[in-house]
Amino acid sequence: MVFGKRSIITLAVLAVIIGWVYYFLTARGITYIWHWEQIPQLLFYHGTKTAAETTPSWHLGVLMIGFVLTVKISIVAIIFAVILGTIVGICRLSSEPITRAISIAFVELIRNTPLLVQIYIIYFFAGSMLRLSAFAAGTAALAIFEGAYVGEIVRAGIQSIHKGQMEAARSLGMSYAKAMRYIILPQAFKRIIPPLAGQFISLVKDSSLVSVIALADLMFQGQQAVARTYSAFEIYFTVAALYLVMTSILSMATQYIERRLAVSD
Amino acid sequence: MIRVNHLYKTFKTPNRREVKALVDFSTHIKKGEVVVIIGPSGSGKSTFLRCLNRLEEVDSGEIIIDGQNILEKKADINKVREELGMVFQHFNLFPHKTVLENVTLAQLIVRKRDKEKATKIARDLLEKVGIADKESAYPSQLSGGQQQRVAIARALAMQPKIMMFDEATSALDPEMIGEVLDVMKTLAREGMTMLAVTHEMGFAREVSDRVIFMDGGQIVEEGTAEHFFQNPEHERTKLFLSQIL
Repeated sequence: MVFGKRSIITLAVLAVIIGWVYYFLTARGITYIWHWEQIPQLLFYHGTKTAAETTPSWHLGVLMIGFVLTVKISIVAIIFAVILGTIVGICRLSSEPITRAISIAFVELIRNTPLLVQIYIIYFFAGSMLRLSAFAAGTAALAIFEGAYVGEIVRAGIQSIHKGQMEAARSLGMSYAKAMRYIILPQAFKRIIPPLAGQFISLVKDSSLVSVIALADLMFQGQQAVARTYSAFEIYFTVAALYLVMTSILSMATQYIERRLAVSD
Repeated sequence: MIRVNHLYKTFKTPNRREVKALVDFSTHIKKGEVVVIIGPSGSGKSTFLRCLNRLEEVDSGEIIIDGQNILEKKADINKVREELGMVFQHFNLFPHKTVLENVTLAQLIVRKRDKEKATKIARDLLEKVGIADKESAYPSQLSGGQQQRVAIARALAMQPKIMMFDEATSALDPEMIGEVLDVMKTLAREGMTMLAVTHEMGFAREVSDRVIFMDGGQIVEEGTAEHFFQNPEHERTKLFLSQIL
C-alpha cells in the first residue's frame, strides 16, 4: 500500500470538484482562461537557477520550496509540541496546587485565544525582543499552541491508565518519575495515538497561518505565485492537494505505528 | 522486624463522610513469621497492608521496620519499598512488557543490576513459580493464575525481606486458586516473612503462624489457625467464620 484508500478517495473528490467548476463555468458561458500549464514549473523546473550555472538541471519550483519549508516547520513544531504537551499534561496531574494551576492557566490562555493573534504577538513582540527569526517565531507559536492541546490529550491518556499500574510500579521501589517514564507514559502514549494524530494534522494545516509573518511556507509561496500569475484557482487547488499529501502521509504513519504497538494487546 | 504502633487512618468518602479504616492498630511481626489477616469487607485489612508501604498515608502512628520509622519525613520510601514485596488482587502486571521484562524491569532500574544478572534471577523465579515457558508472552496472553504467579515472581525479584499479599487469590477463577496458593505455601515454608490478607483458611491452617481477625479497623482476635477453627472467642469472629467456612 503506497497510498491509503482514504487519500485516493479524497484526491478523487478533489478532481470531481475541479470538474464541476469547469462544468459550472461553461454552462453559464463564463470565460475563464485556464492556465494549468503554469503549475508544473511551480513544482519542478528544468533550467538554471543562478547565472553561475552554465548547464541547466532540475530544480524545485516555488511551491515545492514552500512545501519543504512547511514540512520542516511542522516536524520541528510537532517535536516541541509533544515535549511541551507531555510536561503540561504531567503538571496538570501534579499534587502541587501551584504547578497544577500554572498548567491549567497555560492551557486555558492558549486554547482560548486565536493562533493568528499568538503568532503576531510572538513574532512582533517576543521575536523582536529576543531577535528570533521568522522561522523560530512561527515554529514556536505553533508548538506552544498545539502543545496546549497535546497537554490535554496527554492528561487524558495518563488518567486512563488504571491506578494499579502506578501502585505496582511504586511498590517495586520505583520513584514517581521512573514509574511515569517506564510504566505510565508508554501505555498512555499508545492509547492517545489516534487523538494525537488528529492534532498533528491540525498542526500541519494551522502552519499555513505563519505565512502572515512572511515565512515563505507553502501558503505564502502560493499567494506570491497567484499575485504573479492571477491563476488563483489552479494554484490554490495545487496548494490544497500538497497539504493533503502531507496530512495523508501523517495519518498513514500513525496507523502504521498503531498496528506495530498493538502486539501486547 | 515490623512493629506497628497506634496506627490511625481515616478515609473521606466523596459525600464527605468519614470512614475509620484503622483505629489504634498495633501489632508486631517477627522475622520469618507468616501472618494471615482475615475480616469482613471494609474492616481495614487491605488498608493496613497499603499503609505499610505507604501506598496510603496514615493519619498518625508509627511503623518501624528494622529499627527505622518509615513514616518519618527523612525516610526514603523508595528504599523501604524495595524491601516490601507486594502482590495485588488484580495482579497489576505491566501490560506493555513481556513476562520476562515485567520481572527484570525493577531489578534493572531500581536495584541497578546488570541485564545478565537480572535475567538470570528472573528466569530462576519464573521457573520456581512454574511459568518458565511463558517468558516472552505478554500478560494479556496469560490466564489469571499465571498472571498472579508472574506478579509474585516480579515482587520476589527485588529480594524483599517481607512479602505482602493483598487478596492475591480473590480475583481468580476457582480452578486457578490452587496454583497460586501452592507458590505462596512454598514461600512460607522457605522461611519468607509473609503478611497475607486472604480468606483461604486452608492456607492459614497449613502454613500460618498467626491469624489476625480484624473488624472496624481494629484487631478483634488473634491466634493460631487452629484456635480460629476450634474455639474462636468473640461473637463477631464466630459469625464471620460461619460465613466463610
